[in-house]
Parts: sequence; C-alpha cells; structure tokens
Amino acid sequence: MKPLPAVLGIAARLALGGVLVAAGGIKVVDLDASVRSVVAYDLFSYPIAEFIGITLPIVEISIGLLLLVGLLIRPSAAVGAGLMVIFIAGIASAWARGLTIDCGCFGDGGPVSENQTKYAQEIARDVGLTLAGLYLFIRPRTPFALDNKLQPDRNS
Amino acid sequence: MSRPSAPKASTPPPGAPIGLIAGVVAAVIALIAVVVFLAVRDDSPTAVGSSASLPAGGGVVVNADAPQDAIEVHIFEDFQCPFCGLLENSISEQVKEAVAADEVKMTYTFMTFLDSNLGNDSSSRAANAAVCSSDEGIMLDWHSSVFEVQPSEGAGYTDETFIQAAEEAGLSGTELETFTSCMADGTYDDYVEDMATAATEAGVTSTPTVIVNGEVISPDDMNTLMEDGTTFDSVIANYGERR
Repeated sequence: MKPLPAVLGIAARLALGGVLVAAGGIKVVDLDASVRSVVAYDLFSYPIAEFIGITLPIVEISIGLLLLVGLLIRPSAAVGAGLMVIFIAGIASAWARGLTIDCGCFGDGGPVSENQTKYAQEIARDVGLTLAGLYLFIRPRTPFALDNKLQPDRNS
Repeated sequence: MSRPSAPKASTPPPGAPIGLIAGVVAAVIALIAVVVFLAVRDDSPTAVGSSASLPAGGGVVVNADAPQDAIEVHIFEDFQCPFCGLLENSISEQVKEAVAADEVKMTYTFMTFLDSNLGNDSSSRAANAAVCSSDEGIMLDWHSSVFEVQPSEGAGYTDETFIQAAEEAGLSGTELETFTSCMADGTYDDYVEDMATAATEAGVTSTPTVIVNGEVISPDDMNTLMEDGTTFDSVIANYGERR
C-alpha cells in the first residue's frame, strides 16, 4: 500500500472514530442531558426524542470503536457519515428556525444566549467528518485494521 | 472439446463471511441500545408530592385557591442556577404581592440537572426541601430566602441554609421539626425526579424558564424581568391578553 493513502486512511479512522467515541462517551454517562439535548431541537415528540437521546450515544460509541479497531470499516464509515449528515441537517434546521441552542454534540446541549451559538463551526466540523467517512467508504483498506485479518489482501 | 481455463482470482477468496459478521455486529449493537433504552427511560411519573404538588411531577402550586381569571405563571428553576437567582431576587417581591392579591396563580417546578454538571447534589436537596416547605405553607417565602443567599455556582447549599430559611419564613417548634425531618429524609426525592422528567417532556430544557398562560416568555421579556422586577405585572399581562 502506498504511504499517502495509508496515512489518509488511518487519519480518517482516528478522526471519525475518535470523535464518535468521545461524543458518545460523554453523552452515555449523563443520558438525561442527552435526552434534553434532543428535546431542545424541538423536532420530535418526547417519546421519540427520549429514544434518540438514549440510543444514539450507544450507536456512536459502537461505530467509533469499529472504526478505531478497523473492523467492518466500509459499513461503519457509511453509518458514521450518515450520522454526520443527519447531525448537519439537525443543526441547520435549528439555525434556520432561529433557535439558539448548543448542538449537544458532546453532551449537555440546550438553549444558549443568542451570541453563543456556534452553528457554522458545528456544521463545518461535521462536514469534515462526513468527508472522512466518505473517504473510508471508498477506500476502506487501511493498515492496522482487523479487516485485513479477515480478508488478507489478495493483491499484495 | 477443451474448455478455456478459468480466469484467475475471479472467485471470491476463502475468507471470513463479512456479511455474516456485519449482521451479527449490527444485531448486537441494536440489542444493547434497546436494552439500555428499556432500562434507562423514565417510567410515567407516579411519585406523590406534597399536598400542594400537581400529580405526575407537574410542579408545586403556591395558591391553588386562586380565582379562575388569575394569570397562570409557571416558573422552572434550579436552585443552583445563577440566572435563576438573578430572576428570583429581581421579581420575588412582585410575585408575592401578585399572589397576595390573587392576580396570579403561581406554580414552580424545581429542576436538578445542574447537579450532574456541577458534581454535587445541592439542586436535588434544595428541590426536596422546597417541596417540604410547601407542606408547611411557606414555599414562596422559603424559596426566595434560599435564592437570596445562593452560593457561587458549584459551592452548593448546606442544610443549615434550608433550616434558616424555614425559620425566617416563620416556622418553629413541631412545624420546624416536621420540615427538618422531611428535608433530611429526602421525603420528596422521587417527586423531584418526576418534576425533572415532566419538565423535559414539556420541552423545558433550560432554567430559568417562565411560562405564562401556557406560553414561554421571550428572551427579551426574561431579560427585562431580570433587570427590573417591577415590570413583572406588565410583562405577564402581555401573555395574559393573548389567551
């Protein structure tokens, strides 16, 4: 494997996987706050917001761990990128509706003052992570991945 | 007739069945998520509060006997939230007057999520004590006394502060003993948890939140109330008329 794709692939896995594990880990220890963050988007009825708030951190941690250890990289990257697209849509809709909330991406979200919103930065970060996910979907083969043990590279 | 030799490497290599592994992993993740959801989600609130408390964690009513045409004001606050302290210390006198004049029907929901942010239990202890104080009929005075001595964020409250506020509100003797044991026993801890659940269900995700006749007051009006408590009557009147 050429050095550049190897480095890019590892970097993409560390970025997307690392952020997902961190974000999910912070949320999972305070699930009430996670539910509140979802409620603050004002998009779902309470039972649905509660379901999302409780289960999302578990999905985030799982997908993040899969990317970090390099197992099932292609489908994991697809799910990771899909999550990011959904997050971008959620943040954009909050922005468009004039809500003033923290995205709650890393735990306790909810209302903030008008001059404290960071929608552009939040969306920019998630766009970057979406690209990392897409890159891995297209080129899932990276060094130091469990996938390589399951399907030894037949070209090398 | 001889067949051409099969092209090399067109058959899938003998390896682990990726599809099967992916299916199992996805199923395990989904199972964990559902189990955690069923374990963590809040059951419908059933705890019983004080006699002045609404069912299902709906909050504590100051003057349930207020007339029908009174403006309904519901304040969601956390005893440890600095802006709640700012709001309370600004409007408490006006609220007391409006309640005495039967112009408003006041309800309070005491929220507790700052406990997990700050790593203490002061919000929950204060909220329980507040419900205890409503049993003695002193909640309005008690809670404004507590907010008057709100410690800097994170320092937390002592039980001494709660007892002192009860004394200032006029409790003594057996009444004070009842309050103190209710506070120490955490009698209404479950109801306090239900208030948090009910508030989130109602879409209240931050404190302070003021709801007048069912409508959340605007950030501008909130700022006005914090800056000048004497605007209380005129601010809530706006929401009263829109009914």
